[in-house]
Amino acid sequence: MDAFLVALLNGLVYGLLVFMVSAGLTLVFGMMGVLNFAHASFYMLGAYAAFLSGRYIGFWGGLIVATLAVGLVGLFSERLLLRKVRSFGHTQELLLTYGLFFVLEELVKLLFGPTPVAYRVPDELRFTAFTIGNSQFPFFRLLMGATALLMFFGTYAALRFTRIGLIVRAAVERPQMVSALGHNVPIVFSGLFAVGSALAGLAGAVAGMYYPTSPAMAHELGSIVFVVVVIGGLGSLNGALAASLLIGVMTSFAVGVESTFGDLFRALGLGGLALPGLEAVQFSSIAGVLPYALMLLVLLWRPAGFAGNRA
Amino acid sequence: MDPKDKATHSPARAALLRLVPLALLLGALVALPRFSDMAFLNAMVLVCIAALYAMGYNLLWGQAGLISFGHATYFAFGASCTIMTMAAIERGSSFPTPLLPLAGGAASFLMGLVAGWFATIRTGVYFAMITVAITELVRAIVQRWDTMFGGEAGITSIRMAWGPIGFQKLIDVYYFTLAWTVIGILLLWFLQRSPLGTVIRGIREQEERVRFLGYDTHALKTLVFAISAGVSGMAGGLLAFTNESTNVALYEGAYSTTVLINTVIGGAGVFLGPVVGATLTTLFGYYVANLTYYWLLYMGLLFMVIVVCAPRGISGLGVDAFRRLRSDAPVPWGRIVRQAAGWLAMALGCIMTIELIGAVVQPSYGALARSSGVAWPPVRVFGISWMPASPLTLGGIALLFSFGALMLRDGVVTARRNVAKLAEAIAGKPEPGP
Repeated sequence: MDAFLVALLNGLVYGLLVFMVSAGLTLVFGMMGVLNFAHASFYMLGAYAAFLSGRYIGFWGGLIVATLAVGLVGLFSERLLLRKVRSFGHTQELLLTYGLFFVLEELVKLLFGPTPVAYRVPDELRFTAFTIGNSQFPFFRLLMGATALLMFFGTYAALRFTRIGLIVRAAVERPQMVSALGHNVPIVFSGLFAVGSALAGLAGAVAGMYYPTSPAMAHELGSIVFVVVVIGGLGSLNGALAASLLIGVMTSFAVGVESTFGDLFRALGLGGLALPGLEAVQFSSIAGVLPYALMLLVLLWRPAGFAGNRA
Repeated sequence: MDPKDKATHSPARAALLRLVPLALLLGALVALPRFSDMAFLNAMVLVCIAALYAMGYNLLWGQAGLISFGHATYFAFGASCTIMTMAAIERGSSFPTPLLPLAGGAASFLMGLVAGWFATIRTGVYFAMITVAITELVRAIVQRWDTMFGGEAGITSIRMAWGPIGFQKLIDVYYFTLAWTVIGILLLWFLQRSPLGTVIRGIREQEERVRFLGYDTHALKTLVFAISAGVSGMAGGLLAFTNESTNVALYEGAYSTTVLINTVIGGAGVFLGPVVGATLTTLFGYYVANLTYYWLLYMGLLFMVIVVCAPRGISGLGVDAFRRLRSDAPVPWGRIVRQAAGWLAMALGCIMTIELIGAVVQPSYGALARSSGVAWPPVRVFGISWMPASPLTLGGIALLFSFGALMLRDGVVTARRNVAKLAEAIAGKPEPGP
């Protein structure tokens, strides 16, 4: 039971982290149909920005600087790059953000080297928050989860109760109509893009301490975030949240499973199906596969995603 | 082709105009080993493989309008299956060595049928995301399944002789690769000209209408995906055949990125465009990668410049230039020279900046600075020693960038307008209401 609770909590924290990054992506996507390949790169940039500034102004200052800096990077990449290719269509936008993803990764390698940098949890935050049975739950994980929850409620409240939020929600659903009503959709879009990037940067700044801060972190999280957007459905925050939590919890539990593929085949009555070497592979070692497998299943069952109503 | 071109030139002449350069090119490639050294021949083998890979990739993009971001899976799977077949031949199987790439192609085709069925449920950006996810799925499995795919160490095998052909010399490998590349490209050409090709382009333009005509568009898209995967797998098979080894690293994102970049740089809209891109980047990579650590960064920057400034790639630019030459419009030499000079200055400025930063941030540079007592020891770029902190160097770089910006001033005008718009936007942003 204790192990179950710990796995559940770990999964929820990871899921919330994934949600922090996917929220901006899914809103931007819903609004302008732009899939920002570089969104996960902003997550990586956040970690590096916090690492760099944190050395001079401390941990909390680093978080703020990372959020603002990455927001600015997002704003500029939208205004200076994405705008240029908008008239060429979505394909060109997709390619441009892919190029940005590639260039940002290489730039970070140029400046900080290809190996992880020593961005660590500060000592004053290194204590146990509470103990479940024999397992200690570090305070920092709690902080990660709390940041993500705060962000979720903040975003939700901003979208639900403010006028800007109303316009954004309307623009996600029917951009042309909102534009026809006299709202400047491109400006709203730029703002949304910047805020989405800033949130990804904040997520990176918080997560980079716990997970290794390396140029590869954009790639690792990026594909999971895509899965979340596909599963959650177009432009839906709720769908993204459900998908993120599901993936987080599922991965966290799978890591604890000790069965192998051989057990699965025997359970399915396919014991004779001797795939060389696969029998001994434990499920836990390929827990990372589960989100993708889930995505394929959802595609079969509901191609538009959990909350999607537009194909 | 312009209607005007058709009016002044007969179709036969137009066909000749196309075929003669291609025949000359092929002749040159066949004669190449007589004039080339080993290093260049080796590079050309890699060019052929990259070209076939990019052509297979572009079947999906150029014809069906679907951009895959995870084609490395099919390339790598073709390589893995080819090396397994090679190992089987080594153990005494009677599979004929010259048909080895077909083994890889067939395996990737089958895998493409399954993956493509899932991926083509959705189109556009969803398709792109699903291809990424499938690649991650396959990669995670392959990297754990060591007994099958060899893990980090990979699988090695040797090319067994077949009849009179020994396949031991590089020249044999070159002709073998060239032959299969030409076969693959011809196959794609006939596919494009076939009724199937027409229907597929129809799906790209108006899927609903094609479905209305009674075609099962999902099945057709799956088929195109599988053929594209199959040709990529053939290219992967050629790589395995050349290297006599494979590695699970092939399944990583780099090979998906390279083929995409090659296709964009070459131009997806022209049939042989990807070949142009693959040739350029492979040859540059082969020779330049030894000179700089940051080759990938340069390639990424070039990619972004092409996407923003020349969306149809180099071959698109070439086609435009050719049309212009044949029409009566005057050649804008001034503009061409200005642009070329501008881009050259920008490129030099970028290279200087990147190489200097790259050298300065190395840990060894800090150690050198401490041991020599000089705050900023010199750095060698282009065979010249530069003082990274001297005003002369920094001023020179700034001068290059300013000169480039001035020459490309069309772009500068746009940038100025954008900044003005941004300032206006920030000043005039409506206050958030209660």
